[in-house]
Amino acid sequence: MINIQDIRETARDMLTKGEVRAVIGYRRGSRGMLAEPTFITSAEQADELVWDPTCFHNLSLYLVHDRKFLAHIRKNAEAPVAIVAKGCDARSIVVLMQEHYFKREDVYIIGVSCEGTGVLDERKLAKHLNGAQASNVAFDGGDFVFTTAEGEKRLPAREVMADRCLECRIPFPREHNIVFGEDKTGRQLEAPFAALTRFEAQGTGARWDFWSHHFDRCIRCFACRSVCPMCYCDECVVDSITFPVTTETTAEDKANRIRWIERSAVRSENITYLMTRAMHLAGRCTDCGECERACPVNVPIRLLNNKMEREAREQFGFEPGASIGGPSLVASFLDRDPGDFIR
Amino acid sequence: MEKILDKKRIDDWIAALDNWDIQGPVLEDDIWSYQPVSGAVRLDHPNTKQSPKGLAFPQREIFFKFEQIKGEAPRLTQVVPDEQRHAVFGVRPCDGRGVPRMDLVFNDHVEDNYYQARRKNVAYVGLACNKPPSANCFCLSVGGSPVSTDGLDVQMTDLGDRYFVKAITETGKGLMAAAGKLFAEPSAADQKQVKQVHAEAVAYPQRAVRNVEEVPAKLKASFKSPLWQELAQACIGCGICTFLCPTCHCFDINDEVQSKAPLKGIRVRTWDNCQFPDFTMHSSGHNPRENTGARLRQRVAHKFQYFPENFGMPQCTGCGRCISECPVGIDIINVVNKVAENAA
Repeated sequence: MINIQDIRETARDMLTKGEVRAVIGYRRGSRGMLAEPTFITSAEQADELVWDPTCFHNLSLYLVHDRKFLAHIRKNAEAPVAIVAKGCDARSIVVLMQEHYFKREDVYIIGVSCEGTGVLDERKLAKHLNGAQASNVAFDGGDFVFTTAEGEKRLPAREVMADRCLECRIPFPREHNIVFGEDKTGRQLEAPFAALTRFEAQGTGARWDFWSHHFDRCIRCFACRSVCPMCYCDECVVDSITFPVTTETTAEDKANRIRWIERSAVRSENITYLMTRAMHLAGRCTDCGECERACPVNVPIRLLNNKMEREAREQFGFEPGASIGGPSLVASFLDRDPGDFIR
Repeated sequence: MEKILDKKRIDDWIAALDNWDIQGPVLEDDIWSYQPVSGAVRLDHPNTKQSPKGLAFPQREIFFKFEQIKGEAPRLTQVVPDEQRHAVFGVRPCDGRGVPRMDLVFNDHVEDNYYQARRKNVAYVGLACNKPPSANCFCLSVGGSPVSTDGLDVQMTDLGDRYFVKAITETGKGLMAAAGKLFAEPSAADQKQVKQVHAEAVAYPQRAVRNVEEVPAKLKASFKSPLWQELAQACIGCGICTFLCPTCHCFDINDEVQSKAPLKGIRVRTWDNCQFPDFTMHSSGHNPRENTGARLRQRVAHKFQYFPENFGMPQCTGCGRCISECPVGIDIINVVNKVAENAA
């Protein structure tokens, strides 16, 4: 079991000594029992920090924000930033370092093991609670225990845990400076890629109908992209915001600038957007599941990313975010690659 | 016009509304949305994920088609919204109050023909909230009420096995008159019960924006407050809050070229969102709202300062969607209260 006081003590100590500029962690929000990201910069704030199964967020996104902000104000980091990271989050941080987004010494990773619980799926929980609001959640080793106005409600982990946690292969942040909680790797409740396997058991027609339905439903709020630490491009394929305009640029040039994807939220554009994003995440997505969680209309985005992840695993034995010095999927090749074009 | 409708007869009422496209709350993929319904209408929804604003202000609206054959004059063909009438059932009071706010925007200075053409064909049949459907409801604190009839054509109140149905507008009377036989006169007991249900609804505790009438001046005094960036630090810059909002109305207009030779395409209006980093991006590369703090301030001040200054009422109707759906916990009630509290 993780004692939150240990995490708070670590944060307090580092902030007091000035070893880090800030600690990115979780605190209790204003919406019932849900945690939210917090950015603490003084030792007194350390007591805000919480750790529970509503700590869904992959906070490594904010390391990216921090990096972008520093670049914007043209400053170098004076000290590292500490960050609370679960297994999947820590793997995201590793991928960002593989891609040289920042250096290892820029980040102090306060690892937290999911210890076989993972995080909750709010949608699954809402169905079980049937309109009731939970004010607190605890895990007792087998069940989640919720406090509601109508009393205590116990639900087995399998019923309310996020799919990605049920299938998580490594619920432990191997890359860390300090880590809390036991490594319970190998004790996932479902086989890896179980949801994807179930989905793929259907025929082609049914799969096409499924995706057509969901591609039609996307409202292009871009929450999936915005919440993803890997979607750090300054110019995304859907935006075309950095089109250089000079005094020589004509109205025609502006009108004819390349737009891969139109703003209209219609099937053709939504497919291009979501599929392009999935391709760009191959070998980089660590299955933190934030895209699917953030989606307000429940498009099962995780299935797309999972498909790429499994492909890379089966074809190349690739594990995203395994080690900082390790290869990245698209920037390396094997000399035993069966494809002639690459040798 | 006040009537009683047996709950079992609501489907008959809907069947009597021929020539109307009936939209009702539908639960699909674990979310509630307004969709065309025929036959059975369920009104046991909390609130829908998206407000019904899209019926008058669709996320995508084609203005016209253009075509040009080289050497010839360009040809434009206007795309006019169709004349189909829509009756939306189950509209919650907060979403009802969104309607006149949208009307103000699209009628102020310039009348937006496309909006008006759709709007005149939409009727809103509301359902009073006997109990707040979400933990983040705060209609009472922004001048609304769980039993408000503002923006609605008909208000229905659930009385257990029957609905108390009240026409608010002439359109509403017409909807009820189309199935006159189905409705009964309310008894004194019905009248008493509806009063009691409404009183209980209003008494139900809700979250609250404090002293909303003082908020515009306080926000005005807080334009440069460092609190904005502090409160927006977690913001990821997505479009959830504004796309789900019953009153957000910003849009973008683009030409979508479908063929270069011959030149062929459409001019399209799509929803836009002040939280996207590129919303205010200039072509020079300068962005006057350069961080999440400036963008959050825009969203909040538009609803609680600029709109009250222009139209004398907050633009926010307290539905709570932006709070419940924010993936990182940005909470407009908290933001307004904190900034106002710390105002100079």
